[in-house]
Amino acid sequence: MFGLIGHLTSLEHAQSVAAELGYPEYADQGLDFWCSAPPQIVDDITVTSVTGQTIQGKYVESCFLPEMLATRRIKAATRKVVNAMAHAQKHGINITALGGFSSIIFENFNLEQVQQVRNVMLDFQRFTTGNTHTAYIICRQVEKGASQLGIELSNATIAVCGATGDIGSAVCRWLNECTNVAELLLIARNQERLHDLQAELGRGKIMELTEALPLADIVVWVASMPKGMEIDPVTLKRPCLLIDGGYPKNLATKIQQPDVYVLNGGIVEHSLDIEWKIMRIVNMDVPARQLFACFAESMLLEFEKWYTNFSWGRNRITVEKMEQIGKVSVKHGFSPLLI
Amino acid sequence: MPQLEASVAVDFTSEEYRDAYSRINAIVIEGEQEAVGNYTKLAELLPDSREQLLSLAKMESRHKKGFEACGRNLSVTPDMDFAREFFSQLHQNFQTAAAAGNVVTCLLIQALIIECFAIAAYNIYIPVADDFARKITEGVVKDEYAHLNFGEQWLSEHFETAKADLEAANRQNLPLVWKMLNQVEGDAQVLGMDKDALVEDFMIQYGEALANIGFSNRDVMRLSAMGLAAI
Repeated sequence: MFGLIGHLTSLEHAQSVAAELGYPEYADQGLDFWCSAPPQIVDDITVTSVTGQTIQGKYVESCFLPEMLATRRIKAATRKVVNAMAHAQKHGINITALGGFSSIIFENFNLEQVQQVRNVMLDFQRFTTGNTHTAYIICRQVEKGASQLGIELSNATIAVCGATGDIGSAVCRWLNECTNVAELLLIARNQERLHDLQAELGRGKIMELTEALPLADIVVWVASMPKGMEIDPVTLKRPCLLIDGGYPKNLATKIQQPDVYVLNGGIVEHSLDIEWKIMRIVNMDVPARQLFACFAESMLLEFEKWYTNFSWGRNRITVEKMEQIGKVSVKHGFSPLLI
Repeated sequence: MPQLEASVAVDFTSEEYRDAYSRINAIVIEGEQEAVGNYTKLAELLPDSREQLLSLAKMESRHKKGFEACGRNLSVTPDMDFAREFFSQLHQNFQTAAAAGNVVTCLLIQALIIECFAIAAYNIYIPVADDFARKITEGVVKDEYAHLNFGEQWLSEHFETAKADLEAANRQNLPLVWKMLNQVEGDAQVLGMDKDALVEDFMIQYGEALANIGFSNRDVMRLSAMGLAAI
């Protein structure tokens, strides 16, 4: 059985979903209530691959809300993640993806130190961040999206914002090794990590965001911030492909300019048969046909019975592992969301 | 991304800590004492489980002694008057149910609500406790899971007939727990225990117990949040 740990995008969203699902006790409550709310299994999922194989899964709502980070309720935020993990493990789920902010919080606050949650000893082998598949899908979005827009990678400049993160560094590795992209611009806050990445790649220009954006034919946004991202679209090149792989995804609604194409990054389209209610609620544009790539990773691991924390720890994603997950992604019917 | 603040070291000998501890320690001691009485009463009401219930009562009595030692270790005199008053309404509800022979309500109050609350509070306390109290509490919390298990098992075996009584008893008693928690929020904070963490751990433990008894996921969400909004 596979699991997905998810959360809603804002307090307002959480309240409306609780009302829609028929939980009035949760619907009218403020942030304090959500800081105390326990994890819940809110959906059972049956997935049939294009190969005909069928698997079962559960959706665990962690009750985390991004406002917890914005208002510095950090302890509450970290509790949501480990409690949801303990909940998934207690329910016998073999492999669970940490969706949305869950994996970011896990990494950022070093939650691997939290091994015991009440009477549950967390078995990290049962969890995956899903970042390998997300990084793979973003790379395929870059390649295919560029081709759709007539951008030749051999002449193109790609800016990776959040380059030193787990997904960002994996994207850089792939672009460096598997494509002939002309120029890579590396953007992140931590200078030391940026220099390490540059040394590893043997290329890439370290730049400030505002300096890099006007130069880029393709912008890969993979930084995550509680309130999303602000980009001044006027400075962008035309055409420009913006791949919003951050969380939450808000570029598409904010940037509406001619010849600037915004693509929700790390999203897969699929032709699988997925029976579940929750995707309609978690704000997918086409809930029946789209899905977060990190969630899809736990499905792939379940299909292939690879019961291991396939994506774990920071900056350990190799091109080989991206190719490995990419192969089974295609096999089971997932493809990158395109323009 | 914001950073986690380093936790402030607790001074177990400060006047403020010992003052707060005098109430929290008393509540724990009184809670264990109430449990002794409640399991002894349940042994009368459930003669088939008499031996088991009396052995649970004995364990609670041992826990009480352990927590008394924790108070002495910090040279704190527990404020037992405060603690008896603190438990009075829940105590009264148990006595009324016992007098009416309502085993389901008695089990919900003692074996589910009080045990789940104890487990939540002890689990949140352990990481911030002094070394002496930590060892005692770690031992106690293991026993409390066994007590919770007794109530869960009995109630799941009688789920169909007990369901309505459980709902009514939950409606009557869970809001009391939230009120009690509010009353000691400040003292718990001095001991390094956050109220939202206590509520969350309680809801997890209580929700699991209700699910084990036979309630659906939807019922669990409704029952475990009962009255929480009003506080």
